[in-house]
Amino acid sequence: MAGLSKGSIAALIAAVVGALCLLLESSMPWLIKFPAAWVLPATDWVGAFMEWFLALIKPAARSFSALMFYPMEAANYVLSHTPWPLVICATTALAWTLGGVRMALMAVVGLGFVLASGYWPESMNTLALVAVSVPLALIIGGGIGILANEYPRVRQPVQAVLDIMQTVPTFAYLTPLLVLFGFGPVVGLIASAIYAAPPMARNVLLGLERVEPEIKEAAIMAGGTRLQQLFQCEIPSAGQQIMVGVNQCLMAALSMVIIAAVIGGFDDIGWEVLLTMRKAQFGQSLLAGLVIVIFAILIDRMSGTLTQDRRDQHDPRVAWGILALGVVVSAAFWGSVQQPGAYGLFNPVADSVDRGLSSFTSANAEALTALKNNVLFYVLLPMRIGLDQAVLPFTWGFAWTPMMSAALFAAGAAAGIVFALRGRMALGVMLLIAAGMLETGISQLPWPFVLVGAGALAWVAGGRGLAVLTVVLLGTILLSGLWERALLSLYLSGAAVFACALMGGAIGLASAVSPGVWRVVRPICDMLQTIPLFVFLIPVLMVFQIGEFSAFLAIIAYAIVPMIRYTRHGLVSTPDEMIEAATASGATTWQMLKDIRAPYAAPSILLGLNQTILYAFAMLVIAALIGTTGLGQSIYLALGQADVGLGISAGAAMAILALIADRMVQGFAEERRKALGL
Amino acid sequence: MTGSETPAITCRNVWQVFGSNADSALKEALSRHETPEAAAQELRGKGLIPAVQDASFDVKEGELFVIMGLSGSGKSTLIRCISHLLHATGGEIRIDGENIVEASPKRLIELRRKKLGMVFQHFGLFPHMTVAENVAYPLRVQGVKKKQRLAKAQEVIELVGLGGREKNFPRELSGGQRQRVGIARSLVADCSVWFLDEPFSALDPLIRRQLQDEFLEIQAKLKTTIVFITHDINEALKLADRIAIMRDGKVVQIGTPADIVLRPVDDYVREFSKDVAKGQHAHVSSVMQPGEHHVYGADDPGLRQDMTLDAALARCMELYEPVPVRTDDGKLVGVVNPADLAAALQVEQG
Ligand SMILES: Nc1ncnc2c1ncn2[C@@H]1O[C@H](COP(=O)(O)OP(=O)(O)OP(=O)(O)O)[C@@H](O)[C@H]1O
Ligand SMILES: [Mg+2]
Repeated sequence: MAGLSKGSIAALIAAVVGALCLLLESSMPWLIKFPAAWVLPATDWVGAFMEWFLALIKPAARSFSALMFYPMEAANYVLSHTPWPLVICATTALAWTLGGVRMALMAVVGLGFVLASGYWPESMNTLALVAVSVPLALIIGGGIGILANEYPRVRQPVQAVLDIMQTVPTFAYLTPLLVLFGFGPVVGLIASAIYAAPPMARNVLLGLERVEPEIKEAAIMAGGTRLQQLFQCEIPSAGQQIMVGVNQCLMAALSMVIIAAVIGGFDDIGWEVLLTMRKAQFGQSLLAGLVIVIFAILIDRMSGTLTQDRRDQHDPRVAWGILALGVVVSAAFWGSVQQPGAYGLFNPVADSVDRGLSSFTSANAEALTALKNNVLFYVLLPMRIGLDQAVLPFTWGFAWTPMMSAALFAAGAAAGIVFALRGRMALGVMLLIAAGMLETGISQLPWPFVLVGAGALAWVAGGRGLAVLTVVLLGTILLSGLWERALLSLYLSGAAVFACALMGGAIGLASAVSPGVWRVVRPICDMLQTIPLFVFLIPVLMVFQIGEFSAFLAIIAYAIVPMIRYTRHGLVSTPDEMIEAATASGATTWQMLKDIRAPYAAPSILLGLNQTILYAFAMLVIAALIGTTGLGQSIYLALGQADVGLGISAGAAMAILALIADRMVQGFAEERRKALGL
Repeated sequence: MTGSETPAITCRNVWQVFGSNADSALKEALSRHETPEAAAQELRGKGLIPAVQDASFDVKEGELFVIMGLSGSGKSTLIRCISHLLHATGGEIRIDGENIVEASPKRLIELRRKKLGMVFQHFGLFPHMTVAENVAYPLRVQGVKKKQRLAKAQEVIELVGLGGREKNFPRELSGGQRQRVGIARSLVADCSVWFLDEPFSALDPLIRRQLQDEFLEIQAKLKTTIVFITHDINEALKLADRIAIMRDGKVVQIGTPADIVLRPVDDYVREFSKDVAKGQHAHVSSVMQPGEHHVYGADDPGLRQDMTLDAALARCMELYEPVPVRTDDGKLVGVVNPADLAAALQVEQG
């Protein structure tokens, strides 16, 4: 064993366990399928405990909810009763102050579109929620960030909790909140405040930590009290980073407010999307989705200017002028500005989109179905249930036989041996394992193999501690009876991440090589990152209807962006000296890419992969709305039935998967960085 | 100054140890070993970093005390202990007789407002404040009214020669200008003990020399006690009343500039003064052959034992008449006074 690398040992162990499981399958079926009798009723326990706990804090929660009712009503009243010309002009004036002509134009056009779409009142309802939840999130997040900075002892635990909160899927927050606060907009408000606070806390903490030590010391030596140091020197010095937090907080709040519409009952724009989607009025739901996108972009770009280093000054007189114009117009047309919801200028467009869409889908039904079926039958299904079951005469044209399994294994083993002989033992064994997984299917992998394999991988990535953590956490899922659903989630997100890695990597590479490509790709990436999760569902649903394939597409569309960005960034940020040295040694472009840029970019690309995995998990749960199986669906079902036990357990399982994936990839990235001496 | 006067700063057996449980580890190590070296060795063995070891010295009132040493030798750590930005792990530090290691947080704030000023290596300016606001900040924390503090700040800004830049932000200034802001800020509250941590190291040589001269002028005007850190021997020799040399956390020698150059205690110190223009610091006695030797000729330029080599050379050269300078083929083009030759070779005493 002494001559083997860590990776080879881990791969060998996993391969042996997997082979044993397959061999013993017939005599010991419990090796494949975890027996139901062994499952602990953990979901029920969690449910019972949570019910008890929630009942305990319910009175406090209800009074808090009653308290929040007032600011919410107030915001709602103000926003829905302010005449629209005034709202538009006030926003434009603000946009002018922040970003000059361009920003102001963007505000006018954007809000003009919203007005013309007839979704003005619904938008104002949504904005009212954001307007209350964001200050709440800023105060909570800022407070947590400052406290964590003041008391180094709590910094680590706080950071760990923030990490975990980031991986808990959005819907999982909603179920307990629903039980606590009852139906109604307050749930959305609180959920969005909870969801939006961590990015603020993170950035405040990061900003404060990054203040130059000498600036902190200068404040001390000036004789400031701790509060003076903090509020007069450290927080203003960290201003830019804190503004990044504000920006992220705004976007998260908006996203969550819209998602919270799933629990319904409130006349906001997210609800409108959901409603029209259910009624299959895709033209309308696309329109409502566009309204959401417009708000997202406006909020993002306007708050984004605050994070910039040096801002241009814009004449405040112009802003006052615009505001005055708003007042004048509102007063002059008082009677006719009261019904902003009546415009519906785009309804004909929406209708024709609907008509065009149905004629498009019926005209191309064959091609679309073929695309969908090809991906389903030849990619997704084999990954899910394995070649041995997915290969059927009516799809593949022949039946899978044990002989074929044997041949597949033999091919895998042969390739493995070839690689092993050439000194790439780990890679060889991994090929063999991949062959086995392809034959079995991810959702039917024997549980001992998954535990051992994940443990071994974690050991390579992050050492003993991570391996133990991985096995224990996965074991929890196993014992709680959510195992099969977890594997299903793993399969779908795995397939999506794989697709993202391939396509995103390729696009990233193309963007790195050609500035022209990047010029096209970049705004698309910016756009995709601003759009709230929910909106991704509309277009895929329009073309491919409800089902796993649509969910798969939606996940890819959302999760591919980080892969593109990080790949490109890693590839283009290779230091110039290294490029020059390689050029001087006579490397071709391809050699340069392979030998210099790719290794240097590896840590960055791994971080991109990490983000992609987290994004995929986040979207997986949202995609449950349009048909996925697995944990996401459980979380969604739990929400519908107000089943706290299931909701929390499934959410926790999801978070566990995300956490493990995150730690492993981070571990590998760290190792690469160390190897490069970065 | 009389000997009985309390020194402005007293350090007795000051230790600063970094690492977990440094306090108890230091106590244990000190109780177990006789010499500080052995104790430091033990601490290192445990993975702790003894950044300052057993430092003891006094700084007299109005003295300009320079701490010098290589990078990582513990200079910044020592000055941060004295200004109590770091809590010394062991030992006693007194400022005007008051033990500041034991001072309450409230008393420390008061001391910093009234007595201590500090200039940082990388300036430590507040990026969101203008020059005037930066300089006035120490007054702002004391609650001085805006008009008053800006007026006071203006005075100091003029003193450091930054008049006209009050409204600029630090990012709009050059390095030398930024450090002037740092100096002005540390002076605005009329400190009596002034700490400067490599204030000029980040600047280019010309600006550095200019700021050194201005610094000496300010010092002559204000007469504060100064602890000044540098790793540049020429800067140390130019400014210091006394110099302390540090190596790996230990103070290895304390003395006047001449002591350091002429009587280095070990090779480490000697290495520092290797590149120094010795002519300015070494004395005739260091090259003299003692005893009554035969003296050729009757010329006596009047050398004394404690003359610097530069001065002695100049005296000797004055004995010569001007000598001729010719072209290659022997044509006379001018004369040189040997005394001028000697003077031209000397590094300008600056
Ligand atoms: N906060 C800290 N934690 C751990 N070690 C530290 C800390 N601060 C300084 N050290 C260590 O103490 C030693 C002395 O550092 P110090 O900053 O005092 O050196 P210096 O003489 O000022 O060097 P320079 O000329 O580079 O500023 C170094 O080995 C440094 O690594
Ligand atoms: Mg230093």
